Amino acid sequence: MGLAITAPDQGPALYSRLRRRLFPYALITPSVAVIGGILAFPLGMLIWISLQHYGLRELINHQGEWVGLGNYQKILVDPLFHAVIVRSLAFTFTCVSLTVALSTLIALLLLKVRRAVRVLVMSALVFVWATPVVVTVDIWQWMFDYEFGIINYLLTQLHLGNFIHHNWFDNPVQGFAVIVAIVVWYSIPFVTITLFAALLQMPSDVEDAARVDGAGSWRRFWYITAPILKPIFLIVICLSTIWNFGIFNQIYILLNQRPSSDYFTIAIYSYRESFGVTQYGLGAAIAVVMVIVLVIVTLFYVRETVKVAEIS
Amino acid sequence: MNLRKRWVAGLSVTFALVAAACGSTSTGSNNSANQTGTLTVWLMNGSAPDSVVNETNADFKAKYPNVTVKVEIQQWSDVTTKLDTAFQGSSPPDVMELGNTLVAKYAAAGALLDITGQKASFDNSSTWLQSLTDSCTQGSKLYCVPYYAGSRAIIYRKDLFASAGVSVPTSMDDLLTVGQKLMTAHASDPNFSALYFPGKYWYAALPFIWDFGGDIATQSGGKWSGALDSSNAEQGLTTLTNLVSKLSRADKTGDEAKQDAAFAQGHIAMIIANGWEVGVILDPKSGNPALKDQLGAFPIPSHTQGQNAPVFLGGSDLGVAAHSKHQDLAKAWIALLTGNKHMAEMATVGGVIPNTTSMLNLGTGINATFYNAAANSKFVPNSQNWASVESANVLPDMLVKIFTKQQDIPTATTAASNQISSILNGGS
Repeated sequence: MGLAITAPDQGPALYSRLRRRLFPYALITPSVAVIGGILAFPLGMLIWISLQHYGLRELINHQGEWVGLGNYQKILVDPLFHAVIVRSLAFTFTCVSLTVALSTLIALLLLKVRRAVRVLVMSALVFVWATPVVVTVDIWQWMFDYEFGIINYLLTQLHLGNFIHHNWFDNPVQGFAVIVAIVVWYSIPFVTITLFAALLQMPSDVEDAARVDGAGSWRRFWYITAPILKPIFLIVICLSTIWNFGIFNQIYILLNQRPSSDYFTIAIYSYRESFGVTQYGLGAAIAVVMVIVLVIVTLFYVRETVKVAEIS
Repeated sequence: MNLRKRWVAGLSVTFALVAAACGSTSTGSNNSANQTGTLTVWLMNGSAPDSVVNETNADFKAKYPNVTVKVEIQQWSDVTTKLDTAFQGSSPPDVMELGNTLVAKYAAAGALLDITGQKASFDNSSTWLQSLTDSCTQGSKLYCVPYYAGSRAIIYRKDLFASAGVSVPTSMDDLLTVGQKLMTAHASDPNFSALYFPGKYWYAALPFIWDFGGDIATQSGGKWSGALDSSNAEQGLTTLTNLVSKLSRADKTGDEAKQDAAFAQGHIAMIIANGWEVGVILDPKSGNPALKDQLGAFPIPSHTQGQNAPVFLGGSDLGVAAHSKHQDLAKAWIALLTGNKHMAEMATVGGVIPNTTSMLNLGTGINATFYNAAANSKFVPNSQNWASVESANVLPDMLVKIFTKQQDIPTATTAASNQISSILNGGS
C-alpha cells in the first residue's frame, strides 16, 4: 500500500526536478544553435582550410590538400607578416587611444553645454554614425584627392605651404595619419554617446562632496569619474580594439582597392592572400592568427570587465 | 502488379523522364527552336558597345526563340574575386569574358571548357591573332575564343603641339624634348602635364622595359626568374622615371582609371592609351566632344631614332565555364559575337582591334595608329600563375616606390623580381 502511495508521488517529483534542470538548457538551445551556425561553423571551417593547401584548382574541385601546420610555418617566417602584425597593433593602439581620449573630452563637454548645443552636437554625432562607411570614405577620398581635393586647396589658401598636387599617400606614415583620422572620426560617435550616457547615470553627490572638499576638476575626474566609469571604459576599449584591429573597408576603399604592401593591415593581408593570390589556405591561416592575437589582446579587458562586474 | 502492368508503368516513367529531360536541358535536342533556358553572359565594362550586344542577342533570339540571354556587365577592378567565386559554384555564368592575362590561370584550374574540337566552327579561326590564340591555348588545347585586342599608343592634342611649335617625336629623347617644350609653353598652368602618367600604370611602363631589351621574367628549364632587375630593364625604367618626373603631374600613387576624364579637361598634352579611349575622351557626358578635331595619335617611340617601342598586347577572350549547364548555347552565342558580322562592328563602332588578321584593314583614321602598334607587340609571361602577379600588384607597387622615391630603381626592381620569381614558380 505504501508503495502504491509513494510511487505515484515520486514520479512527478522526479519528472518536475528533471524538467526544472533541463528547462534552462532547452531555453538556451535555440541561441546556442544560432551562434553555432553563424560563428562556430565558419570558424571551424576557417581552421580546417588553414590546415590545407587550397588554391583555385582545389576551390573549384571543392577538395583541398592536407598540409598540417605548413601554412602557419610559412607565414611565421614571412617578414611581411611580421611587419603587418606590428603595423596592425600600432594602428589599433593609436586609434583606440585617440578615440577614447577625444570621446571622453566630448562627453564631458556635453555635460557642461546648453541643451540646444547638446542636441546639435548629438545630432551631428548620430549623423556621422548613421552614414554608411563606404559613403564616408568616398567623401574623405575626394577631400584628400591629389588633384581636386579640398584639403590641398584649403591648406594652400591658408598659406600653410604649397599643397598643390600634394600626395597624401605616397608616404605611408602620412597616409596612415589620414587613415587614423578617418577611423577615429567614425568611431567617436559610438564611444562618446556611450560615455555620455554613463556620465548621466553618475551619482552627483560624490562629485559634489569632492568639490566641497576643494578637489580640482582634474582630481575629480581622475579619482571619482574615471573609477565609476571604469566598466564602460573597459567595454568601449575592448570593442574599439576588436573593430580597429580588423580594419579593412576604410583602407581598401581609400586606396582604390589596390593598397600597396606598405598599407597592409592583417585583414587586408589575409584578403590579398586569399582572394588576390588565390591561396585560400594561407589566407585562412593569417585570419586564424588574427583571431588568436585578438583573443589574447581582448582577454585582458574581458577579465577586467568580469572582475569589475563581480565587485559591483 | 502483373508483368504487363509493370511494363507499362516502367515505360511511362521512362517517357516521363525523357520528356522532363528534354524540357529542362538545352543540350538535349538538336532543334534550336525547341531549346529553352536562360543563358548568362558576363561581359566586361567597356568591352562591346551596347548596340553590338543587343544585335547579337537579337540574332541569337531569332535562332533560339525560347532561350533568354542575360548579359551582366562586370568591372575590371574586382573581377578576379568574382570569377573565382563564380567558377567554384554549381551554376556559374555560361559565357565569360576574360582578360587575356587571366585565361591561363582558369584553364589550368579546370574552370574552362575544352573547346578544341569545335575550333573550326568559329569564324576566322584560322586567322585569329596569334597572341590571343596563344593566350587561349594550354598544352595544345583550346580553352577560349579570341574576342578583341588592344594596344597602346600616345594620344596627343594637335592644337597644343602646334601652339608650342613642336611635332610628333621620333625617339624617347625626342619625346622628352617635345614634352619639356610643352611644359615651358604652359609654365603658368600648375595643373599642366605634357605626358600624363599615373604611378600605377604598369601596362604603359612595359614598352620602356622591353624597348631596352629588358623583360618581366624569363623561363629556363621550366623555372621562371624575374628579370626586372636586369640592367636593360633598369635602363628602361630610368628613362621612364626621368620622363615622369619632368613631364607628368599625375598622381604618382594613382592608376589610369581617370586619365581620359583628366585629359578631356584640357590640361594634358599626351597620354598613353588604348584606341577605344578616344571614345571616352570625346564622350558628351564624361568627356569633351569639342576635342574631336584636335586629337591625334602616334606610336610610343623607341630609344632608337625612327623606330617604335614594343607595346603590351592586351585584350579579351570568351570562355565557357566547365560547370555551365548550357554549354552548346554558350558556344553558339560566342560564335555569333565573334562572327564576321559583329566582329566588324566591334572594330568600326567599338574601336577595338578585331580578333582576326583578315579585318585589320578596318582600322582607319586615328584607329590605324593603334592597329599598327599591335604589329610590334609583346605579352606577359605565359604562366598559369601570372594572374597572381597581377593580383599581388607587384608591378604597380614597384613603379609607385620608384616614382615617389621611396626606393631607388635597383632596390625596387630586385624586390619585384624576387616576388615575381616566387609567384610564377608556385609560391605566393
